Amino acid sequence: MSRNSLSRRSFFTRSGALIAGATLIGPWKLNRAYAADKPLKLGITSDASGQYANSGASDRRGMMMAIEEFNAKGGILGRKIETVHIDTETTPATGTRVAERMITREECGFLIGAVSSGVANAISQVAQKYGVVYLNTNSSSPSESGENCHRVKFVWDGNGTNFAKAAVKNSIDSFGKKWLLLTNDYVWGHDTAAATRKLLEQYGGEVIDEILVPQGTRDFSSALLSIQNAAPSVVAAAVGGDDQKALRQQVAQLGMGQKPAWINNQQDWPDVYGLPLDNLFGVFGTTWYYKLDLPGVADFVKRYQEMYPDTAMRVPGNVFYNGYMSTRELLRAIERAGTTSNIAVIKQLEGLKVSAEDRMQHHDAWIDPNTHQMQQTIYLATANEGTQDTDDMFKILTSSSPQDVEDTDAAGKCKLESYDDTPTFDA
Amino acid sequence: MSTLLPHIFNGLTLGLLFALIALGFTLIVGVMEVINLAHGSLFALGAYFALTILGGGWIEGTAVGDWWMGVPLGARYVLALAFGPVLAGVAGMALELCVRRTYGKAPLYGLLLTFGAALVIEEAIRVGWGTGEKSLPLPQAINGAVLIGGLIFSWYKLFAAGFALIAIAAVWLFLERTPYGAIIKAGAHDSEMVRALGYDLSRLRSLVFGLGSALAGLAGVVMVPIWGLRPHLGVDVVIPAFLIIALGGVGSFWGAVIAAIMVGLAVGITGAYASAWSMMSMYLLLIAVVSFRSRGLFGRKSALEV
Amino acid sequence: MITLSDIPPRAGAWLTPQIVVFTAILATAPLWLGTIGLYQYLGIEIAIWMIYALGFNLLFGYGGLHSFGHGAYLGIGAYAFGLFQHHVGVSLWGGLLAAVFAAGIAGALVGAAVSHRRGIYFALLTNAYGQVFWFSAIKLHWLTGGEDGLLNIPRPTLDLGFARVDLNDNMALYFFVATALVVSVVLLWRIANSPFGRVLQAVRQNESRTAFVGYDVWWFKWAAFVISTLFAGFAGGLFAMAQESAYPDIMSLHQSGLIVMMVLVGGGLVGFWGPVYGVVLYFVARDVLGTLTETWLLWYGLMFMAVVMFRPEGLAGALHVSARRLPFRAAPRRASVGPA
Repeated sequence: MSRNSLSRRSFFTRSGALIAGATLIGPWKLNRAYAADKPLKLGITSDASGQYANSGASDRRGMMMAIEEFNAKGGILGRKIETVHIDTETTPATGTRVAERMITREECGFLIGAVSSGVANAISQVAQKYGVVYLNTNSSSPSESGENCHRVKFVWDGNGTNFAKAAVKNSIDSFGKKWLLLTNDYVWGHDTAAATRKLLEQYGGEVIDEILVPQGTRDFSSALLSIQNAAPSVVAAAVGGDDQKALRQQVAQLGMGQKPAWINNQQDWPDVYGLPLDNLFGVFGTTWYYKLDLPGVADFVKRYQEMYPDTAMRVPGNVFYNGYMSTRELLRAIERAGTTSNIAVIKQLEGLKVSAEDRMQHHDAWIDPNTHQMQQTIYLATANEGTQDTDDMFKILTSSSPQDVEDTDAAGKCKLESYDDTPTFDA
Repeated sequence: MSTLLPHIFNGLTLGLLFALIALGFTLIVGVMEVINLAHGSLFALGAYFALTILGGGWIEGTAVGDWWMGVPLGARYVLALAFGPVLAGVAGMALELCVRRTYGKAPLYGLLLTFGAALVIEEAIRVGWGTGEKSLPLPQAINGAVLIGGLIFSWYKLFAAGFALIAIAAVWLFLERTPYGAIIKAGAHDSEMVRALGYDLSRLRSLVFGLGSALAGLAGVVMVPIWGLRPHLGVDVVIPAFLIIALGGVGSFWGAVIAAIMVGLAVGITGAYASAWSMMSMYLLLIAVVSFRSRGLFGRKSALEV
Repeated sequence: MITLSDIPPRAGAWLTPQIVVFTAILATAPLWLGTIGLYQYLGIEIAIWMIYALGFNLLFGYGGLHSFGHGAYLGIGAYAFGLFQHHVGVSLWGGLLAAVFAAGIAGALVGAAVSHRRGIYFALLTNAYGQVFWFSAIKLHWLTGGEDGLLNIPRPTLDLGFARVDLNDNMALYFFVATALVVSVVLLWRIANSPFGRVLQAVRQNESRTAFVGYDVWWFKWAAFVISTLFAGFAGGLFAMAQESAYPDIMSLHQSGLIVMMVLVGGGLVGFWGPVYGVVLYFVARDVLGTLTETWLLWYGLMFMAVVMFRPEGLAGALHVSARRLPFRAAPRRASVGPA
């Protein structure tokens, strides 16, 4: 027998310790008191890492503020609202896994949160399978309310077509007909570029070239050199997240911000906050701005600053706004429906109308029942040259009503699953 | 042809910076026969350390912090350029302590260990500096663009190319003209003999690892304004480094420099025609080189050919 | 350090006690998965990865050929399955066959290009090829959907002749995958313990000597590579079904490196079951630690480094060594091992 054999005694002691340790750690699933006040769990699927980490954090803060307000009033239908957050890493495969986990293990009744449309698609596939309502808060790919729409998914942001419609006609008139497209190589980029193309054809513009840049691009020098060579009148850029930041820095460094003219589609606040003002060239769109001269805005900003005194962003932007608004409307819809049963909530959301005052925007807003997208005011803005306030970066140029910028193609492409095909789900 | 000029210039700049990275890499491979897959992470680490030295949110409010931020950006930048790489070198030496256990075993273990270290360093960067994109504030003197013959060139890239040239020259001087350089070259050639001659081999290895990592860190600080700064930065750097030493031969100074410039030019020029595929041209080049001439242009048989 | 060769082969055995126990654990998993805080979809993922890892270990552990780009074949299998469903027809076996076939062809081509190498060049070449595939998957938008992936991949019904099983339910899919896993385990066990497996181990130990004895070393390395990619493709097809989509992410360097880490930590260099332990450890760590801290990968990486430095035999090796020490276990046959 070898020298280092275990004695019988030490074997049993060791395995006994192991078993005791195991019982201490598991089982993990707690026994809940299944009383009527079982809390309602919301699954927060915002990105905490990757290209959209900053926006994801802002998105989440917006949701949390809405949830806090409801919990302060006693919760929803008498139940406290709890949240579970798992990082979706700006990666679609992770999105699938997170959604499955939230629904099957964490027992989340509703899923909220998206910035990347790739991730949003992955999550909504899973959500549709189980019948769980999913709020796409901030991803603005036109296909989200087009061919990738689902009965359980609701889109709360303006999409690439809306912004393009707001920007294109004006820009052709102001700057010229020869356009070059600079496109982020994924769903939102492609769909936005396609929408821009169509509008250009409609208004008599011409696309002289399209340059694709992968997500995660930092060195835009070859793209910028090509742009310089092509000499278009306008560059329509559909580049998002951190890529946008890098693009802006490099364009500013090369002094290319004035000529050609830049149309940047939607500009998310977290992507530009803190950058020097000369990085903010061109014309861009947004759904909301913290200095809009409307009732309620100042109070909203104050509430943000009180709840989040430590964040780097001292004032909220459109991403926060969309996260807040979508969560608030979901909770209100549950209240009106009187139940968390998914079909009832879906029907409430499909008929949703929100007044301009309630939205803190210039025009009334509503959810299109055929595409599940929130139709809202679209603003065009440029850099606020000459400002002394480092936070006040935007100068709002125009506001367009939802009817003027409606994505008319979406209804044709969107085929919502029927109510019968959607499984019932009740949290 | 003239429109190609900025792309060629871009490629040259990239090549010179790649040369810095590759020199560090080839020193480590040559002397210690360890393929340091964490080289890219050390590259990123150097840049992050420089960011911290340059100052910002984290020291605001303290007396020292406010004084430091009052120092002109140019001076702070120079110090960051000097000490960021030093800290990266220290991190490299710490890594070498871990790698020691794998000496003498099959090369796989060194490869795996440094692969794990790359992951650990990337995650540690996430913890320490966050996952978001950061940028290095640059002094006005090297920022901006200049119009030469109707084509736009970036001042910063001119600075980066010039700086890389000086650094490469400094490394050459060190290796060729100082006694330490001679010891390192001897160690790359025959480490047993060096030990037999009475030099402390483990100290030598530690210093070489530190030097190699410092070079990577230096390249990082210089490259960041071109490539951006995020935790995942290191991954895109290891493959060019390996490609360059495979092309130029292990342990060869001029092999590394010339191969680096070739690779940089290849990436720069494909950027002119098919910019989406320019990064992939490196992988294709690697496959071609290793399949057909694995000893490279100037190399000798090395630890790579196990 | 002990190696795979120290564990005596059970020639002729199709079923071993370990395989039976493993099957029992798999079969009962739905019952206890929930109580330990896991969920069915995770069970499916773990089972799929076990197929992938066990096939990979034939190359990595038994063959000693360290491929750092294997994620590419998992991805090719997934895309092939999805494209088959979209363009040819909705069929379970058709899709899976397409997945295996596509990955196998890719594996055969790459294998032919790398099999004359070993060591570090092998590792970096396979990595480079893997990156080329990954890059192509992202760029070939019209084929693969690019970064957005291939969506809406249906889960075809399993038609057994006497019964039709709808695989849309996670439970049903789990049992399907688990059955596939058991079949794969038996197949791989036989391959590893066959004369082919023994020669493969000989190649690992000393390539020149094996060549001198008269074996065509290149062919054995190539065959091991292809077999591992066949299993990877199969796992990829199953994964496309589970996710109902295929993304390029699994082909990335990060993911290809993760499978290497999983297999090593589990003890793939040392035992047949090593990859199984490694997969379980990784997935449970990811799910359990991942909710506690966002930096769980840091701890996993540190653990991996510690294993490489101090215990390269991994979990399976540690278990094997402590099992040998049990006094009331029959003394193992020492015939093939030298003096203890």
